[in-house]
Amino acid sequence: MSTPTRRDFVLGSAAVALATAIPSNVFAASASKIKVGVVGCGGRGRSAALDACTADPDVEIVAMGDMWADRVGEAMKTLTDRVPKQVNVPRDRQFSGWKAYEQVIATDCDYVILATPPAFRPMHLEAAIKAKKHVFMEKPIAVDAPGVRSVLASSETAKANKLSIVAGTQRRHELAYRETMKRIHDGQMGEVVACYAYWNQGGLWQVTRTPQMSDMEWQLRNWLYFTWLSGDHIVEQHIHNLDVCNWAMRSFPVKAVSLAGRQVRTDAAYGHIFDHFATEYEYESGAKMLSMCRQIDGTSSRVAEHLVGTKGSSNANTWIKGENTWRWEGERPNPYVLEHKALIDSIRGGKAINDGESVAKSTLTAIMGRMAGYSGQEVTWDDALKSDVSLMPSKLEFGKLEVPPVAVPGKTQAL
Amino acid sequence: MMIATVASLVMAMAPVEVQEVKIPKTLASFKIVKIPAGTLKTATGEVKIAEFWIGQTEVTWDTYDVYAFKMDLSDAEKAANAEASSRPSKPYGAPDRGFGHKGFAALGPHLNAAENYCKWLSRKTGKKFRLATPEEWEYAARAGDLGAAPKNLEKTAWLWETSDDVAHPVGKLPANEFGLHDMFGNVTEWVKDASGTGWVMGGSFADKAASIRFDTKKPYDPAWQEADAHVPKSKWWLSNGEIIGFRVVSTG
Repeated sequence: MSTPTRRDFVLGSAAVALATAIPSNVFAASASKIKVGVVGCGGRGRSAALDACTADPDVEIVAMGDMWADRVGEAMKTLTDRVPKQVNVPRDRQFSGWKAYEQVIATDCDYVILATPPAFRPMHLEAAIKAKKHVFMEKPIAVDAPGVRSVLASSETAKANKLSIVAGTQRRHELAYRETMKRIHDGQMGEVVACYAYWNQGGLWQVTRTPQMSDMEWQLRNWLYFTWLSGDHIVEQHIHNLDVCNWAMRSFPVKAVSLAGRQVRTDAAYGHIFDHFATEYEYESGAKMLSMCRQIDGTSSRVAEHLVGTKGSSNANTWIKGENTWRWEGERPNPYVLEHKALIDSIRGGKAINDGESVAKSTLTAIMGRMAGYSGQEVTWDDALKSDVSLMPSKLEFGKLEVPPVAVPGKTQAL
Repeated sequence: MMIATVASLVMAMAPVEVQEVKIPKTLASFKIVKIPAGTLKTATGEVKIAEFWIGQTEVTWDTYDVYAFKMDLSDAEKAANAEASSRPSKPYGAPDRGFGHKGFAALGPHLNAAENYCKWLSRKTGKKFRLATPEEWEYAARAGDLGAAPKNLEKTAWLWETSDDVAHPVGKLPANEFGLHDMFGNVTEWVKDASGTGWVMGGSFADKAASIRFDTKKPYDPAWQEADAHVPKSKWWLSNGEIIGFRVVSTG
């Protein structure tokens, strides 16, 4: 249950005043409203919509779409419970099915939130940018190299058309991370020579298959566990930490080797993805990044980054130790709200911002690690980027869809 | 100042009574300490405190893991999703934040999780466990000290000045006169008042020593869940709750 906040009250009063006291011919002022469409109404899409509403009181959610109509209904309930004055989504702007994204994008929204499973992001981004919409897109932004190239191209089109793209790699919007990175880029830690990235945790949710579910529905509802949908957990989750290291390095790795496998979470309910990757990346400068990610219940967990420079070290977000020891003391406002605020400010100010290239290349960093893990081979950036392996099924429709075999290092061709 | 010192000395004369509580069929155990009955002076008057027992330290992963990760259930029970409504969901990310595990306070339980842990612990051990009331917590934290703020915090508490921004293993710093460790700092601790509202008390490793008072209690803060990027947010885990833990009270 939501309780009215002071902001609700103030806004409510203002809205009433506006409606009663101001003649209708000044409604041009409503251009200050930012209209948002939501593509993907799961837990993440709902949360992003709420964050957008929190970021600016003049945000209005105007359209919602998801594969499943019941998900749209649940999201409508969540949003109208919490931010009733910022939801204006009549029935004819609630969409479901494979084409829901096109219908959301076709409304008069200013920006779209793209929060479906990552497989569809390149397609959705391309459609949104073609329709001249600004975009907030959840990470990762693709699951394979063709998807990454598509996002890079859409990102260039967005730049040419002065459209903003903000990505859900929220650490880049967190004040403590930004200040630490500024200091590292200023050379306060010397040259960064080693990075460590971790996302080790237990398992995640899984939806039990019912007899009514087709292969496609079962896979979509369990999208984490199918590489074509999620990219595997190194792409889906670990990208956050890889992105922080790339940010510190101000470059992207040139190659990767990885020891990886599916050792414990082997039940067919968990699709065919791996449960662990330990990957060594190398940058142009010779600096290395050691990355680990694991989803195995009952194992020790760690989600973090650690950076080593020639004059010190850092946890990438609250401290630097060494010649220029420093510690973050400021407030840490919610980065999930700040990322929407940055997007809204860019729209209002007419000054486009674009995270597209950095998030696409960090996504490719993760994909390169997966390719190295699945194949057991060293994989270079250039080979990863030009790979023509598309993981997208040939037909996007409900029905039969085989689960690919679990990759076998030394045998599987990943490129 | 003089009065407080004398009061502390008087309290110290009573020997500390400690009991080890074992969780049957596991290797996990923890210690509780007897707190004698007495009176707590507050701004609004005096509150009578009956005798109770309280965790010598904050609840650690050693016992919380058994509860949260269902280590006391068989594979068949786990597969059948037994006790689903009273056990935490699977956490997203690293619950221990990489600070350390064995001997470290269980981090980020929602009030709902802390209370369900107490119920689970009661079922397991046959003793009655619950969260402390704010008055019990303050009385236990004071251990006879009548001042406004605890003394010697630099030696007895993991706070901003000494913590290096991380939680530390429990029980490594000197105990108070009742024999309780880490009442201040390390993790701030859930308590529950008579109206059913949860608060946290005692400050955490992220708080500065100057901010610590015996009676400061803070309500639930939405910031404790802001990195929980999904809606609805977890009823079990506080995504930004690395500063939050709890200790249990037993009344028999």
